[in-house]
Amino acid sequence: MSETGTGKTEMTARVGVYLCECGPNIAGKIDLDKVMADILSESDRYRNVELVIRRYGFLCSGPGKQYLEDEIKENGLTHLVVAACSPRDHDSTFMGVCARTDLNPYLYRIVNIREQCSWVITDPEEATERAATYIRGSISRVLRQSSLFEKPLEINPDAVVIGGGAAGMEAALALSSDLRRVFLVEKSASLGGGCGITMPQEKAVIEDPNVDIYLETQMSSVIGFLGNFEIGLKSADGKDEEITAGAIILAIGSDYSDPQESGRISFSESDEVHILAEAERTLEAAGDLKLRDGTMPETIAVVHCVGREEQGYCSGVCCSSSLKLAAAIRRLSPETAVTSVYRDLCLPGADGENVLRMARESGVELIRTKGTSLSGMELDLEKMDGTSEKRSFDMIIPAAAIVPAADTVSLAEMLRIPLDEHGFFKEAHRMTDPAGTTTEGVFIAGTAHGPMSVMSSMRFARACAGQVLTRLVPGERIVPEVKVTEILEAYCTGCGNCLDVCVYGAIYADTDRGISVVNEAVCRGCGNCFASCPSGALRTRHFTNEQIFREVDEALR
Amino acid sequence: MTQAESILVIGAGIAGMKASLMLAGPARKVYLVERLPIIGGKTIKNEESFPNMECSTCMVAPIQQAVLQNPHIETLTYSAVESIEGSAGDFSVSVRIKARYVSLEACIGCGMCFEVCPVTLPNEWEESLIEKKAIYVPCSGSLPNVPVIDSERCLKLNGTEECNLCVESCAFEAINLEDEDRLLELKVGALILATGSETFDLSALPGLGYGALPGVYSPMEFERLFASNGPTMGEITLRGSGAVPDRVAIVHCAGREEQGYCSGICCMYSFKFVRFLKHKLPDVQVFNIHSDVCVPGKNYEDFFRSVNGGDTEMLFTSSIADVHVSGTDSGLRVAYPDGGGVTADLEVDMVILAAAIIPAPLTARLAELAGVELDDSGFIRTSLDGSGSMETSRAGIFTAGTVEGPKDIQSTVIQAESAAGQVAFLMSSMADLTERDPSGKSVKS
Amino acid sequence: MPDFHPRIIGFLCNWCTYAAADLAGSSKLELPPEFTVIRVMCSSRIDHNLILSTFYRGADGILVAGCHPGDCHYGEGNYYARRRFALLKKVMETLDLEPERLELRWVSAAEGNRYAEVVNEFTDRIRKLGPSPIRTSTRL
Repeated sequence: MSETGTGKTEMTARVGVYLCECGPNIAGKIDLDKVMADILSESDRYRNVELVIRRYGFLCSGPGKQYLEDEIKENGLTHLVVAACSPRDHDSTFMGVCARTDLNPYLYRIVNIREQCSWVITDPEEATERAATYIRGSISRVLRQSSLFEKPLEINPDAVVIGGGAAGMEAALALSSDLRRVFLVEKSASLGGGCGITMPQEKAVIEDPNVDIYLETQMSSVIGFLGNFEIGLKSADGKDEEITAGAIILAIGSDYSDPQESGRISFSESDEVHILAEAERTLEAAGDLKLRDGTMPETIAVVHCVGREEQGYCSGVCCSSSLKLAAAIRRLSPETAVTSVYRDLCLPGADGENVLRMARESGVELIRTKGTSLSGMELDLEKMDGTSEKRSFDMIIPAAAIVPAADTVSLAEMLRIPLDEHGFFKEAHRMTDPAGTTTEGVFIAGTAHGPMSVMSSMRFARACAGQVLTRLVPGERIVPEVKVTEILEAYCTGCGNCLDVCVYGAIYADTDRGISVVNEAVCRGCGNCFASCPSGALRTRHFTNEQIFREVDEALR
Repeated sequence: MTQAESILVIGAGIAGMKASLMLAGPARKVYLVERLPIIGGKTIKNEESFPNMECSTCMVAPIQQAVLQNPHIETLTYSAVESIEGSAGDFSVSVRIKARYVSLEACIGCGMCFEVCPVTLPNEWEESLIEKKAIYVPCSGSLPNVPVIDSERCLKLNGTEECNLCVESCAFEAINLEDEDRLLELKVGALILATGSETFDLSALPGLGYGALPGVYSPMEFERLFASNGPTMGEITLRGSGAVPDRVAIVHCAGREEQGYCSGICCMYSFKFVRFLKHKLPDVQVFNIHSDVCVPGKNYEDFFRSVNGGDTEMLFTSSIADVHVSGTDSGLRVAYPDGGGVTADLEVDMVILAAAIIPAPLTARLAELAGVELDDSGFIRTSLDGSGSMETSRAGIFTAGTVEGPKDIQSTVIQAESAAGQVAFLMSSMADLTERDPSGKSVKS
Repeated sequence: MPDFHPRIIGFLCNWCTYAAADLAGSSKLELPPEFTVIRVMCSSRIDHNLILSTFYRGADGILVAGCHPGDCHYGEGNYYARRRFALLKKVMETLDLEPERLELRWVSAAEGNRYAEVVNEFTDRIRKLGPSPIRTSTRL
């Protein structure tokens, strides 16, 4: 502390500047003594700042880290600048050193004088000058940095699963234990979803004491974030209930496209045209497929890829389902001739190959076409050799495409998560976070994500469960990102621009105060909202304009 | 920390890294064992990944960094598992950490040692399209960025002569030619096998000319040819002549018949190659000789449509097994039966074979060590109860990624997340059991 | 202008282009000493104030570089950056500042060579353009 002329008591900052030689990698090109002398010679530029400036062989080595730790403690450093390598290599190393002292890790800064000076600038004098510039920028910047503190949050480990089909039930079973309750919410009056057959998990879910099943119930409201959601449920008889949970898994399933949406398919109510899922259910329940007049069909055509063209994607499972059904019909009624009409056979994996073999062995006729159209009960087949053929069948089974369930849109709006170009829930990242959404704590399982097999649906469900099991551990707390954005109430006009650009839904409107507010538990600190603000009300912590301008000013000096 | 809270993940590709990151924490330690000197797996060999042509390095590098910097993950590169004993909750695993001869702590990756090394050998990581020294990192941007010495080729280590050049060049005293293999005994509660897969050995298909005709490429060779950090710095030039190709044929389903299954991703990577080619060489003509186009799921057909017609001509063949590639005076000829079964000819100067995804050569050995079943194709068998479980036939041992069968990156990550969840569940139920059962049947040591 | 050493600021996104700069560094590629790197988390963080103030503080050129479209670590931040730049370039015209002094480029983490090319090209361009009119017309 030192008394100043203004009468205010001001803290003297003690900034430690440590230059890593990195063997010859830095010291072999950059004249570190000159850099130190140059910076020291201008130390009166900084008001109320004492500079401690030293060089060391390898700061990232064990002894180097210990040296730095001792220096911070012995010199009572208030700020630290390490001039060394890329922050991608050792930022976390030196933050770790700070964490072992009283120095807040956000009052430290690494300067990359290796990848950006000694390794890329040919002339040693120029490299030396550049290094000094970078270091000055960081001294200036670090003085504008603020201490930031992690704020661990208590979490609720329970999970809500929306949808009681294969994916939803699998997720519930993968999660439930004495440590964690699962609320399984199903819109219809029974579990099982769209599979049309009794799922093996149904009994286990019903008997599981840690799974609470809500039938004929829908989610009506939701607020919160990973670890802390409040979810409103509404039952068909109008009863409201509120539950709390740490995560939400969307397993609402999907629908089938209307075959007649395709301009190439037309038939009337009285025609014997039955979509694949319906035929599967009938066969499962009745053991055979009869025509409406009760007689057995002599010829059946299963038409693949109906709706692929219109939807813009291959559902990936219809070939397998179609051939399985075709083979099953042949097995159950060998006198029925079954023809499968397809464009490409999409049968990945050994299982796919087995299905194809089974279909062939059971005597299913396979016809590849460039395109097929249906009028009434007559198929027009465009063959690969360029010819075309018209053929009539007693029964036609179109394999319709898998399309998003009707509830997808309203749920997405409620949860503030985006839809993809085909109307399914959009994943957080197609490759690295396919079960997550941009809203942390909301996950997608099964065909709510996109068309997929029952096996894949269950895997997605287990992946969602995996996220919950590893992130919401009973008794542990979660630590949100600290380098987040804040909104200064005095400048905020509540225009909502920031709200619109935030992909994480981290900003909400406080209508009472007429401003926008950042939920710091959700913000990831990209700063996109900052650039969208017309009134300068936002601050991106640790990357404020004020901090960045210090670097700019030193570079342009 | 006891074995009930430690986990061993074998294979540091995207599946192994994801599972490790999910599981590692103050209460759980993860050992991540990787056979190669670097982590990242196959994904980092691809400059861009389909379908959104995302830069793989941008996608994977933050994951690699997070793994290496995670205090709860002990990454053991250049290491191999030698034995696995015990049962769920109580496995004993021995791991051989091969002599690297370069200290992971002392080396800063400056690369001075490569320059002085007098020995050159093919760089297998770069599909042998380029050479490396006997002290090397497999590629630029390797993580960890610490070289390793090939002890069979190093002049000093193989006894040829007293070469000491790399040691002398190192300012960090990071090189120790006396280094030896170390054996590590680990106690872990569960294992995840994530050792990935291989592509079909194309030399087994002599009719397609791979190995005999320099213009015929494997998919991984082409990936590296396109990669901006690869052997040609991303320039697509023909092996031998160095010329830029004008006409390229991509032959689908190479090895499908032999393997007995469709790998499900080769159509997509073939279409990605079309994008690669048209991106770098706008005037190139590209032909896809295909049978069934397999582009399942919500993301892939769009990608197919974006190349079909404009960027590539799709040529249907009624029999992939009868496609034949031969050399001509000016390049290559691809003969194939067309839709009507009539043989058609195509003159090109480059052929890329879309090879099937097959079990890695070491998968069978790993399965034997781990005592887990393989499926009929030689991949590790999972989901024995049909529930999508990632547990293998041996309790406490899980798997993820293409070691379990061919799949895309998305499905690989989904499996890694599933497996991590199952391991976490197993661990917590064991901890729970210990708490509730103080009678001595504790799983904790 | 043989003695003109431009002052150029490069705002690089943490995830892609900063990584490319590291790769250029570890590949020991030659880069111009006039180019100063400032790391930001995402190209979408760059607002008009940061760009224009940097010009008014005396920069002769500004390069902003981030992940390729579709590759943004934060989903779609770089798309926002692209749109904002279209507007910024117009604003620069009205300030009699050549729009070529501002450049938005996509450089992925694997593209160390491309990073060096982009930086060298841009620096050459600014060398040819000469000092910023803001610097010459004010006391900066």
